[in-house]
Amino acid sequence: MSDPLLRLDDVYKSYGDERVLSGVSFEMETGDVDVVIGPSGSGKSTMLRCVNRLTEIDSGAIYLDGDCVTDADTDVNELRKQVGMVFQDFNLFAHLTALGNVTLGLRKVRGMEKSAAREKGYEHLEQVGLLDQADSYPAELSGGQKQRVGIARALAMDPKLLLFDEPTSALDPELVGEVVDVMRDLAAEGITMLVVSHEMGFARSAASDIVFLDGGEIVEHGPPEQLFENPRADRTREFLGRLRTEHEEG
Amino acid sequence: MHAFPLQSDWAFVLGSLDLLFEGLVVTVALTAASIALGFLLGFPAGAVEVYGRGPLASIVETAGVVLRGTPLLVIIIILFFVVSVSSSAFVTAAVALGLRSGAYQSQIFRGALQSVDEGQLEAARSVGMGRLQAIRHVVVPQALRRSVPGFQNEFTIVLKDTSIAIVIGLGELLTVGQNLYQGGQSTAALEIFLTVSLIYFVLTFTTNRTLDYVDDHFTIPGGEQA
Repeated sequence: MSDPLLRLDDVYKSYGDERVLSGVSFEMETGDVDVVIGPSGSGKSTMLRCVNRLTEIDSGAIYLDGDCVTDADTDVNELRKQVGMVFQDFNLFAHLTALGNVTLGLRKVRGMEKSAAREKGYEHLEQVGLLDQADSYPAELSGGQKQRVGIARALAMDPKLLLFDEPTSALDPELVGEVVDVMRDLAAEGITMLVVSHEMGFARSAASDIVFLDGGEIVEHGPPEQLFENPRADRTREFLGRLRTEHEEG
Repeated sequence: MHAFPLQSDWAFVLGSLDLLFEGLVVTVALTAASIALGFLLGFPAGAVEVYGRGPLASIVETAGVVLRGTPLLVIIIILFFVVSVSSSAFVTAAVALGLRSGAYQSQIFRGALQSVDEGQLEAARSVGMGRLQAIRHVVVPQALRRSVPGFQNEFTIVLKDTSIAIVIGLGELLTVGQNLYQGGQSTAALEIFLTVSLIYFVLTFTTNRTLDYVDDHFTIPGGEQA
């Protein structure tokens, strides 16, 4: 049997005295779209950030395609070429146009020629429906457009895995849809995605698996229909109940 | 006509414009050399203060504190009469002004680098850029833009402070002015100083306007929220 694309093995992480991840083990295969849900402070973002080593784990191990990426001698830049990241607050390069944002990595990391990088950049902007905004600067774009550029920037590196850290949390409600639509398209294209998000619509329709994280532990992990309709753990049920109430009230 | 000495004093100033112009050239050259040296020292020093660790960072920080805490007059006298870095008054003055400006410019760049959101560096690292690459291609271009207003200030200060080279006898603008009234018509002192001040003003005004233009030109369209 071949290795899973991503495997977290008993991962622990603390910030000072505060334990954020407490023995997290998890696997996903190429083509999977896994959505991590859980109350705020449950360790969702930390789990994601450990995968591309923006955060260093305390113990355990993380494997990408069978290779341990949490060894001290792992080349983090090599790892990050293979794992794209989309941020909650976009973090687009403020001084570059949409196209510049998408091509910077291609040119400086992949060493592509300017013209080839531009061509590939346009391709990915088209993929997120923003070809017409190629020359716009981040501050000239709406939140939803910024996030789509963020997605194009990550896609352009042809990663094996795309991480989404609450990609719609910073958006005005009316802009969430355009970002979710793009993510749904990517899921349909077979892009492997690990998504921290409470967008239930996306989770239900696009996720292969839902991971419920609480108190730094994976409480429950299963396909959406099972986890949403018949959660096994009380904690999951409670959390989903709260989430539904918030949605209805909101 | 000759009953009005003021008038003849202005005539004296007018007749000495060629000398004042020579002083002006020295002043401009000294300003340019000092600012350039200050940039070469100050930019890396600011970066080291933000990103550096260990002994290098402490050395740079201490040097900055000492230079900023020492009167320019003392720096220039020590460099010329004590250490005698060069027999040329121009070179000595440029080194003194450049060192001091470097110490101040380092703080302009330190502040500008620190003002760039941490997420910018994180996003650059996340596409696989190394730390230096990310700083160079993402943080520095934004920080340089933000340092223009501070740099504008520094430029004005250095321009006017070149006049301190008078103590080591460099023939810059103020020295020329002083020589004029001391050697020639002592009654023209006020007129000479007013003229010299006007020249400084025109210089600072035009350089500031030029830097305003630079600032506008490089401003990121729409602002800086990314």
